[in-house]
Amino acid sequence: MRSSEPGRQNVPWFDRNFFRSAEPITRIGYGRLGGKASGLVRIRELLQREFDADRFPGVEVYVPKMVVIATDVYDAFMERNGLVETALSACADHPLAEAFQRAELPVEILGDLHALAEEAHTPLAVRSSSLLEDALQRPFAGVYGTKMLPNNSPDADTRFRHLVEAIKYVFASTWFQSAKSYIRATDRASTDEKMAVIVQEVVGRRHDERFYPDLSGVGRSYNFFPAADAKPADGVVNLALGLGKTIVDGGVSWIYTPTRPRAPMPFNSVDDILKLTQLSFWAVNMGRPPAYDPIAETEYLVQADLAAAHYDDTLAAVASTYDANRGRFLPGTARPGPRVVDFAPLLGAAQTPFNEVVRELLALGERALGDAVEIEFAGDLPDRGRGTVRLGFLQLRPMLVSQHEVDIADADLASPDLLLATGRAIGNGAFDSISDIVYVRPESFEARLTPTIASELDRVNRTLVEEQRPYLLLGFGRWGSSDPWLGIPVEWGQIAGARVIVESTLPEMNVELSQGAHFFHNLLSFDVPYLSVAHDPNAAGYIRDIDWAWLDRQAALNETALVRHVRLPHPLFIAVDGRSGRGAVWREPPTREDRSA
Amino acid sequence: MAYKPYNSFSIAQNQFDRAAEVLGLDEATRDLLRSPMREYAFAIPVRMDDGRNRIFRGFRVQHNDARGPCKGGIRFHPLETQDTVRALSMWMTWKCAVADLPLGGAKGGVICDPHNLSEHEQEQICRGWVRQMARNVGPHSDVPAPDVMTTPQHMLWMLDEFEGITGTKMPGFITGKPVGIGGSLGRTEATGYGVIFTVREALKELNVRALDTTASVQGFGNVAQYAIRLFSQLGGTTLCVSCWDQAEGTSYAYRKPDGIDLDELLSITDRFGGIDKAKAADLGYEVLPGDDWLKQDVDILIPAALENQITAENVTDISAGVKIIAEGANGPTTTEADAALRERGVLVIPDFLANAGGVTCSYFEQVQSNMNYYWGKDEVLGKLDSKMTSAYLSVSELVRKRKLYMRDAAYIIAVDRVARACRDRGWV
Repeated sequence: MRSSEPGRQNVPWFDRNFFRSAEPITRIGYGRLGGKASGLVRIRELLQREFDADRFPGVEVYVPKMVVIATDVYDAFMERNGLVETALSACADHPLAEAFQRAELPVEILGDLHALAEEAHTPLAVRSSSLLEDALQRPFAGVYGTKMLPNNSPDADTRFRHLVEAIKYVFASTWFQSAKSYIRATDRASTDEKMAVIVQEVVGRRHDERFYPDLSGVGRSYNFFPAADAKPADGVVNLALGLGKTIVDGGVSWIYTPTRPRAPMPFNSVDDILKLTQLSFWAVNMGRPPAYDPIAETEYLVQADLAAAHYDDTLAAVASTYDANRGRFLPGTARPGPRVVDFAPLLGAAQTPFNEVVRELLALGERALGDAVEIEFAGDLPDRGRGTVRLGFLQLRPMLVSQHEVDIADADLASPDLLLATGRAIGNGAFDSISDIVYVRPESFEARLTPTIASELDRVNRTLVEEQRPYLLLGFGRWGSSDPWLGIPVEWGQIAGARVIVESTLPEMNVELSQGAHFFHNLLSFDVPYLSVAHDPNAAGYIRDIDWAWLDRQAALNETALVRHVRLPHPLFIAVDGRSGRGAVWREPPTREDRSA
Repeated sequence: MAYKPYNSFSIAQNQFDRAAEVLGLDEATRDLLRSPMREYAFAIPVRMDDGRNRIFRGFRVQHNDARGPCKGGIRFHPLETQDTVRALSMWMTWKCAVADLPLGGAKGGVICDPHNLSEHEQEQICRGWVRQMARNVGPHSDVPAPDVMTTPQHMLWMLDEFEGITGTKMPGFITGKPVGIGGSLGRTEATGYGVIFTVREALKELNVRALDTTASVQGFGNVAQYAIRLFSQLGGTTLCVSCWDQAEGTSYAYRKPDGIDLDELLSITDRFGGIDKAKAADLGYEVLPGDDWLKQDVDILIPAALENQITAENVTDISAGVKIIAEGANGPTTTEADAALRERGVLVIPDFLANAGGVTCSYFEQVQSNMNYYWGKDEVLGKLDSKMTSAYLSVSELVRKRKLYMRDAAYIIAVDRVARACRDRGWV
């Protein structure tokens, strides 16, 4: 594991007294730390150097204790176990993960891991920290595996075994099919990738058989979908009860603008609020050990509903109760009535500068990275409102907001060649070389079929990535949602060859636009424009629905009952204006001279 | 000058006496610990392949079992003596205690030379040894293991005989069995890796990165090979290794200024496991006299071959740059050389601490065998590192606190643990 690679941060060596050590971030191995870990090191430095904690009484911000297993350990693991050949083969994910589980971790780190397992009794998150993420300045959000361990077995050897399995799982995820597709989309080879692993204490508290934080959050300093009277630079924050998996996987969360934390979300009715806000949350399963399955990411996770949160006494600090007599929501859960997770007790409380801290962290991140940023955090709220809000800072990533100017005039939108248009688009740029269209057939679409659609798209995507043919992807609901009832639950790698993505609504699939942090971030980092097209002319941003009939008339190169792939004789023309949020697709390139790709 | 024969038991008793003095042990405790608790000497009649009967002499010495079942190897050696076995059993007690294993110390042997015995004759000796000792050994009383000139095959014959006598399946009766028939993964690597775990901790204390260090190793057997491998995986460079040449009946040292390549050397070994001198020279190795491994200007010396290799005569050949000597072999340093090294301030990691990885893994095998549930290699080696590291840290803490030489500190810790166990049991 000898290494003289450059870029090794000055991070102290792992101390076998993990929790008693004063250092929050330590390393095992001489190699690189990868993108995620480097981001955390940067956060730690920022907090030490620039965060004035005295300005925010009642809120404590910290980096949860963690150890980074550097990339040279991964190299040694791959080399000594002869895994490169298996990894490069077309081996499916399951047998590949099994092969990695059978392999042995390098002996030189086993003692440290054993000591960590002996020392730590609280849940641990085992997360990937990829080298390409760092090299390409791209957050490979959601591409590689993460494993949460309850780490509560009374037997240190059992805890050690689970830790070892989780690390091997993260190593294996470097070579899962979706990760390979993702890397191909970056014009790099999977062999360029190296994996560091972060083992970090999970923020949260134990509530009987569940362990979770009172809140998880993702903040973005730039908002691609600002509310009517907000500006993109005001940013946006998603909050959820429980583990951050809810937000990063595109589940339902509470969304607010940091400049106006008390403004309500734009729901049409109380009924909508009750239906379309968070109804379930993720926690680490501290109860009965689940069936042994070291290659499942959710092996130790459990999803629970709000009644469970109420039982755990965690709902009161993050929810409001509907008072039918007054016709409004009142913060807290002291009264009987329907609950909604809107974080009003926290965002509305003048004495706790929670939102001010989030704004400060976003500002710090922007200053440090010189660009718009996304942050992830998780926190524990004080019991009965007395004490300190403890916020664990978990992630800092650049957002890579494009500044390229593209103009879409009203006249262009009147063109008879228009295939679709919307006033709600993310991204920026013009594209005139895409001839392939992959779309989900509206006539056979049903929410219950979304997992099948995801796997069919994966197959088409692999072929097109192999042929190096970028394509336009059209579907319904939120792309990348972990909830198959809200959209098509693809992982990024399964559609990584798509150059432009369109999500459309249908009467039976009419949800808010994608906000899943991982998916969303991949759109931005790969510079993939994302157009949200409403079927309802009264919906916000409506310009023109998709011309499905024209699409159906094109000869299919491949088709199933659910998905269709057509290849046009001429490329489409696609333009997205990041400033106005307008985006459109034309069947033939317009002839305007001032348009440039 | 009067001739004074080398008696390892006397040496072991002297070492104990020094530790007992420092600890201020009472007379009864000293009496108990400076001699074995039980000794068995017996005859093993064997019908040889040529039809003649021959009587072999067998031994088992159980030095002390206050901390748990006795543990110790069985040696086949033509020059075996009761005193050697006594000394070795005492050292096993200290080795188990310093590694904080819940075991006592024992040793056994048979006066024989397996080189001159057929497989069948060796099997009869193994089975005969067990028939004599079956009532006094077992997974909960005394657990034998391979040692000089005994192999996993010998252990299997012994296990088979024991299980036949007791009418049970007891894989925990003996350790050193082949993997798959009650053996533990990681056993082959354990001693060599254990040596390097202690070296790694010593380097941390000296505030030196393994990456910046060099080593020279005596021996090219199991212990040496795995020590070299792990040292290199930690980033260190082994500049020189010495190896016995069976054909010439002497040893040679092989040196490369930018570091030896273990796998390269392993690829040119002969059927005895020795390095082929000519091929090594072709690969660019300097071939030096065997003793030159000691003269290298390196940071770390690892004697991992035989006893009495660093002596009053050659201790002055050791380079001034040497910071650590990790005794992979048993007793590689004579008392006189040890005194000289102590004087020079070299950090000597004593044999019964540095090479305790072997008995630690044997203990793991015993535990697994008793459960009849076997761990993955990750788990075995992770535990091994934990055990070895805490053993080293306990000793080095005492070194710092009381400004002791490491060998003395290790003895004091070991003897103290055993003496306490004897007192707690009400024996003394």
